[in-house]
This record gives sequence, C-alpha cells and structure tokens, in this order.
Amino acid sequence: MEAKSPGISASCRKWAVSGSARKLKDNAADWHNLIMKWDRLNDDGSTIANQIVNLKLSKEPVKETDMAVEDGQTSIAQHAVTGSAAGSVLEDRCSALLAILEKMAHLVSKMEKLASSTKGVCELQAFQQERAGVCGPLFHTWPATHFEEAVSLLLGSYKEELALKEVIVGEIAHTSSPDLALVYLSCWLYQPYLDHSSKLQLESLLLETGHRPL
Amino acid sequence: MIVVYLLIIIAGYRDVRCEMSKPALFSLHQALKRSFHSLEQNQKVWNSVLEECGPLMGSLGNLAEQLLALHGVKIPSTPLARFSDLQDRLRFKLLLAVDTVLEKLAEKMCSLQSVRDAVGNQVTAAFQVYEQHADTVDLVTCLQRAAAVPSIADMLEWLQDAEGYYRQQYLRRKALLQALKPNDLADLQSTPKRWEALATPEREDSVSDTLLRVSFFMDSP
Repeated sequence: MEAKSPGISASCRKWAVSGSARKLKDNAADWHNLIMKWDRLNDDGSTIANQIVNLKLSKEPVKETDMAVEDGQTSIAQHAVTGSAAGSVLEDRCSALLAILEKMAHLVSKMEKLASSTKGVCELQAFQQERAGVCGPLFHTWPATHFEEAVSLLLGSYKEELALKEVIVGEIAHTSSPDLALVYLSCWLYQPYLDHSSKLQLESLLLETGHRPL
Repeated sequence: MIVVYLLIIIAGYRDVRCEMSKPALFSLHQALKRSFHSLEQNQKVWNSVLEECGPLMGSLGNLAEQLLALHGVKIPSTPLARFSDLQDRLRFKLLLAVDTVLEKLAEKMCSLQSVRDAVGNQVTAAFQVYEQHADTVDLVTCLQRAAAVPSIADMLEWLQDAEGYYRQQYLRRKALLQALKPNDLADLQSTPKRWEALATPEREDSVSDTLLRVSFFMDSP
C-alpha cells in the first residue's frame, strides 16, 4: 500500500525489496557463494600442492639418476622407469592444480562482473538522486557508493591472490629449493592477500544487505 | 595363669577396638572408593586431552618450519619478486596461525588444570577422612589387606602418587608453554619434541596399575 503513496520516503522503502536494493542484495549473496567456492577450491588445491611438493622432494634423487642416464647413455632402465612413472604422477597432479587455478580464475571473472554490476547500480543511484534530490540509504546505513568501495576492495584482494597463485602453479614443480617450495605451499594455504579486511568487507556487506541478522 | 588372663584382656580390648573402628573403616573405604572412581574418570579425561594436544603441537612445529623457510628465502630473487609485500603478509598470516594454535593449547591446558585440581581435591578429601578417624583406626587395621582389598596405607600412598604425577605433569607442560617465544623460531620448532619428552610413561603406567589393583575394591559394595 505504501509503495503506491507518493513521496521520497515511500520510494526509499520500496527500494528495500526491489530495484537497486534487490540487485545489491543478490550481488552480496553471490559474493558470499563465490567466496565459499573459492575457499573450497583453495583447500583442494592445497592438498594437491602438498602432493606435488612431496613428489618433487622424494623424486629428487631419482631425477639425478635420470640425468645420469641422459648424460652418459648408460642403461639404468629400472630407475628410468620409476622416474618416468613418478614423472607422470607429477604431471597428473600439476594438471589437477592447473584445473583448480582455472576454476579460481573463472570465479574471479565472475567477481569482476559482480563488481561492474554493483558499479552500474551505484551510478544509477547517483543519477536518480541527482534528479529526485536526497535519498536515504538503501538498507541500514551505507550510502550506495560504499557498496562500490567494499566490492572493489574485495575484488582487488582476490585478483592479487589469483596472480600469486598463478605464479605458484607455474613454479611449484620447478623449484629445487625445499625452503622455496615450503613458502609456495604456505602462500597457497594462508592466502596472504586475503587479509582480515577482506573478510570484514564481506561480512559487513552481508550484514548491511540483511543476509546476516543484525 | 596371669599370662592367660592378660591374653584374654588383650583379646577383649582388641575386639572393642575393632568394634569401634568398624564404622570408621567403612567411611574411610567409601572415601577411598570415591577417590579412585574420580581418579579413573580423570585419567580418561587427562589422556584424551593430552592426545588432542598432539596434533596441535604438530601444527606448531609445522608453522615454525614454514616461518623458518620464509626467513631463509629471499623473495626478491625468486619468481615471487613482483609481490613486494608478500614476505610481511605471509609472516603475519603464519604468526596469526601460531597464535590460534597457542590459544587452543591454552584451552587444553585449562582442561588439564581442572583434572589436576579434581584429583588433588579428591585425594585431599580421602586424607581428611583418614585424619578424622586416625584415632579409631589403628596401625594394624591400616596395614591389613585382603585378596581384593589393598591396605588403607597402600591405597593412600597410591592416591598421593597419582596426585603428584598430575601435579608435576601439569606444571612441566604449563612451564614449557609459558616459556615459548614465538619470535625464536628454532625454539618454536623444537617445541613438539620437548613436549613429547615431558611425558613420563612409567608414572602414567603406575596410575593405571593402581586402578587395576583397586578394581575389585572399587566394585565391592
């Protein structure tokens, strides 16, 4: 009934269930789901990365004999066979990790779309505000621009994290230093670019849009 | 003749003493049973909490190893060079994880402390009951034992040993955790080994032995 009555306050309340607010609320839910998926992928990837490093470190002596085979043309057939078997396992694990990275990249591209849609909504809001005068917050307290900021911060951290993971996937099977391999592993698991503030941004986004009870 | 009279008098006196000490003996036995039941329960709790500490100690050592590796790697000369603030960020995250593990360990220590306190209280209670009746229960009664009932003296000693074991173990483990310096990575890395070394299996076994020795006594009405 109230939606029919004219006036700014009524139209603001109407926004809470439809239009820009609806869009922002759905976006927030999508962010939450994407990040959940990301976390799952990260756990899976971490297991695989561990396997790769273990294979790599246990394979090191075999690899030396492999090299000896190549250099001196001597026939240490058995070693070469186990070496190639381990090699194929390693290759299999590496492609599994690569598949996970691709899925993560896909998630980030979805995040980019969400961010640009949020940006669009915010521009629309700004445009409407210009025409209709001052309008209150869409939900509880956040002005529309705040959504854009929060989302771009989130997107920024995930993009950086993805870039880091790309380097890790490229290098993890090629490092011979155990220390560096361990650093790659802890980077993958602890995700240094997703800090407290990204978690905070997501939670405040969910709280503001009413997905989390106040 | 005099000797016979004397013997009769002594025997009568003994009977009187025995009659007097019966309720005392009963309540002392009840107190000991309560203490052993509590010891049995607490031993289970202690062992399960200690078992849960194992994986936590493992991850503490693991994190120390990761921090050491990070310390040993010069990020600018690796393929990760373009991530200029990576070292600090990863270090921060790892230290955060160390904090989380230490918090969990602190919770476990609280559980261990409550076991120590519970055993301590029960043993004190048993000794108090003994002291109350010390005048009526003579030395011979205290040292008397049957096939299924160890002597009061033995049981009190075993309780005291068990209490001492938990007290000492708790203090040692607590001291180890309190002396931890998260900045000293080598120290952190050796923590799981030092934690393991604190175990005194022979004293733990003696608690189990005690419980086995008193199992018939505990089940008796």
